[in-house]
Amino acid sequence: AAIRRMSNNTVPDETVLKQMLSEIARALLEADVNVRAVQQLRGNVLSAVDISSLGAGVNKVKLIQKAVFDELCRMLDAGHKAVPLKRGHGSNVVMFVGLQGNGKTTTCAKYAYHYSRKGWKTCLVCADTFRAGAFDQLKQNATKAKIPFYGSYTETDPVAIATAGVERFRAEGYDLIVVDTSGRHKQEVALFEEMEQMTSAVKPTDIVFVMDSSIGQAAHDQAAAFRSRVDVGSVIITKLDGHAKGGGALSAVAATRSPITFIGTGEHIDEFEPFVAERFVGRLLGMGDVSGLMTT
Amino acid sequence: VVSFFRGLAGVQQLTATELAPALASVRDALISKNVTADIAERLCASVGASLDGVTMASMTTITATVRSALRDALTRLLTPRQSTDILADIAAKRAAGGGPFVIVYCGVNGVGKSTSLAKTAFYLQRHGLSVLLAACDTFRAGAVEQLRTHATCLGVTLYDRGYGRDAAGVASDAIRRAREAGTDVVLVDTAGRMQDNGPLMAALAKLVAANDPDRVFFVGEALVGNDGVDQLTKFNAALADHQAGSGRVRLVDGVVLTKFDTVDDRVGAAVSMVYATGVPVVFVGVGQTYMDLRTMNTGALVKALLR
Ligand SMILES: Nc1nc2c(ncn2[C@@H]2O[C@H](COP(=O)(O)OP(=O)(O)OP(=O)(O)O)[C@@H](O)[C@H]2O)c(=O)[nH]1
Ligand SMILES: Nc1nc2c(ncn2[C@@H]2O[C@H](COP(=O)(O)OP(=O)(O)OP(=O)(O)O)[C@@H](O)[C@H]2O)c(=O)[nH]1
Ligand SMILES: [Mg+2]
Ligand SMILES: [Mg+2]
Repeated sequence: AAIRRMSNNTVPDETVLKQMLSEIARALLEADVNVRAVQQLRGNVLSAVDISSLGAGVNKVKLIQKAVFDELCRMLDAGHKAVPLKRGHGSNVVMFVGLQGNGKTTTCAKYAYHYSRKGWKTCLVCADTFRAGAFDQLKQNATKAKIPFYGSYTETDPVAIATAGVERFRAEGYDLIVVDTSGRHKQEVALFEEMEQMTSAVKPTDIVFVMDSSIGQAAHDQAAAFRSRVDVGSVIITKLDGHAKGGGALSAVAATRSPITFIGTGEHIDEFEPFVAERFVGRLLGMGDVSGLMTT
Repeated sequence: VVSFFRGLAGVQQLTATELAPALASVRDALISKNVTADIAERLCASVGASLDGVTMASMTTITATVRSALRDALTRLLTPRQSTDILADIAAKRAAGGGPFVIVYCGVNGVGKSTSLAKTAFYLQRHGLSVLLAACDTFRAGAVEQLRTHATCLGVTLYDRGYGRDAAGVASDAIRRAREAGTDVVLVDTAGRMQDNGPLMAALAKLVAANDPDRVFFVGEALVGNDGVDQLTKFNAALADHQAGSGRVRLVDGVVLTKFDTVDDRVGAAVSMVYATGVPVVFVGVGQTYMDLRTMNTGALVKALLR
C-alpha cells in the first residue's frame, strides 16, 4: 500500500523521499520485519538513491521503489545457494529443526513427497519422542503419501531412533532420508544439546530450519540461536496461506545465513512451493504484481 | 495520571513538541518487544495526549515521565475487568446441576490448543474436578492419538470417533456422554484453522452454535507478530457472523497465550491482543509440561515491556 501511495507523487525531493521511506518502514514493521533491519534498510536506500544528482526526466518514484525492492531482495539473498542434494552418491540425510508447532512434521512429509514425485527413493524418520502423538502424525502423513517411515512407540531416546532409522535406510540405499525432530527453543538448553547430539549421530547433508510466517520480533534471536548450535543450511517458511506477511523470513535468512528454499501454503501434502524472492517481497510490501519493478 | 503530577511541585509544562522524541523512542521499544506497530503507536499517542500541558515534577526527566505514564496505561489495560477464575463458574454450574461445564479451544494451526487443553485438564483435576476430553480435531494427522496420549497420562476420559467426522456432532455426543456420566467439565479440542479460511471458520461457528459452550477460549502464541490481533479479531467476527439471528451469540471469552517461555521479554503479543479486543488473558503457557500453565502476572509483564 505504501508503494501504491507513492506512485501518485511524480517529483519527489528529499522530504518526499523521507516520507515515502517512513511509510514503507511502517508497512515493513506491520509485516513483522525486525525493527533493526527496517532502520538499516532505510539507511541503505537513502544512500543508494541520491535524489539531488538526478536530472529531469528520470522517473524518481520508480527509482526509489526499485531501490527498496532491490534492498529487500538483497536481504533475502543468503549470498550462496542451498546445499545441493545429489543422487547416486549415497543417501542424502536432511534433518528438520525449529520452534514448537511451526510445521516441521507436516513440512517433512511435504518435502519427502516433493522428492518422491521427482522419482527419488525417499523415506521419513520420526525422531520426536517428546510430543504426544508425534509418531502417529508422521506415520499417517507418510502412509497417505506412500512413503516408507521409521519410528518407535517405546524407545524414548530420539538420538537412538534417528541413528537406527538413518542406518537402516542408508543400508537400503535410499536417495533421501528426511529426519523429523521435536520442537525446541533457545531458552531450553537441554533441547539444544539434544539437537547437537542428533546432528553428530546422523551427520546430515543439510539441516532445514522451519519457521512459521506469523512469527514476530522473536524471530531473529531464535533463528540465530539454532544457527549457532547446528549447521542450518536452508530455511522453509510455513503457513503462507494465512494472513501474515512473513517478515520473520528476513530475520531467518540474516540469522542463519541460509537461503529460503520452499514455502508451505496449506495443510495438505502438495501445498508446498519453491520460494521466489520477488513474489515474497511483493507480499511483504502489500503489492500485487511487482513485475514492473523487476524489469526496470 | 494527571492528578498525580499536579500533586507535585512542578516547574515545567510539557508540550507536544517536547514529548515527541521520548514518545517515539518508547514506541520503537514497544515494537521491539513485539507490540504490533499500530498499537504501539496508538498507546504512545494516548500517553502523549494525557501528558500534554501537564506540569512535570522538577526532578524528573521527560523520558521518566513518559515511561511512568506508559506503565500506568499498560497496567490499566492488562488488568482484567472481570474475574477470569473459571473454577468458581464451574462450581456454580455444578451446584445448580446444570450439566457439564464446556470449554471450546480454538485458534490457528500449531499454537498450542491441544497442549493447553491437556494442561487445563490437569489443573482442573488438581481442583477435584472430573474431566472429559473431546477429540474434535478430526482432521490433522495424529490429532486423535495426541489427545488419547494426554488422556491416558492424566487418567481422564477421552471421547473420540476417529477422523473425518463432523466436529460439531462429535462435540455434542461427547457432551451428552459427559452429562450421563456426571462429568464436571468437557474440554473440546478443535482443528487449527487460518482466520481467513471461510469454510473452516463457518464450521467452527457451527460447532459453537450447536453446543452452546460455557467458554470459548482463543489460543494464540506469544511468538506471534502483527497477525495475532487479526487472528483474534477474525475468530470473533466469524463467530458473530455465523450465529447472527440465533438467540445467544457466543464469542471468544478468553485468550490462552502460549509459548511465553520462548520469547524472553518480548511479551508484546499480550498487549496487542488485549488492546485490540478487550478479551482477557485467562491462562498463559510457559512450557511443555502439564504444570506449565499460569495466570497472567500483570506486574511482571509490564516490567518486561518497559525493560
Ligand atoms: N495452514 C497451514 N497449516 C500448516 C502449514 N504447515 C503446517 N501447518 C499446520 O500447523 C500445525 C503444526 O504443524 P506440525 O507439522 O505439527 O508442526 P511441528 O513443527 O512438527 O510441531 P512440533 O513437532 O510440536 O514442534 C498443524 O496443524 C499443521 O497442519 C501450512 O503451510 N499452512
Ligand atoms: N515452549 C512451549 N511450547 C508449547 C507451549 N504450548 C504448546 N507448546 C508446543 O507447541 C507445539 C504445538 O502444540 P499443540 O498443542 O499440538 O498445538 P495445536 O494448536 O493443538 O496444533 P494443531 O492442532 O496442529 O493446530 C507442541 O510441540 C507443544 O508442546 C508452551 O507454552 N511453551
Ligand atoms: Mg512435529
Ligand atoms: Mg491440536
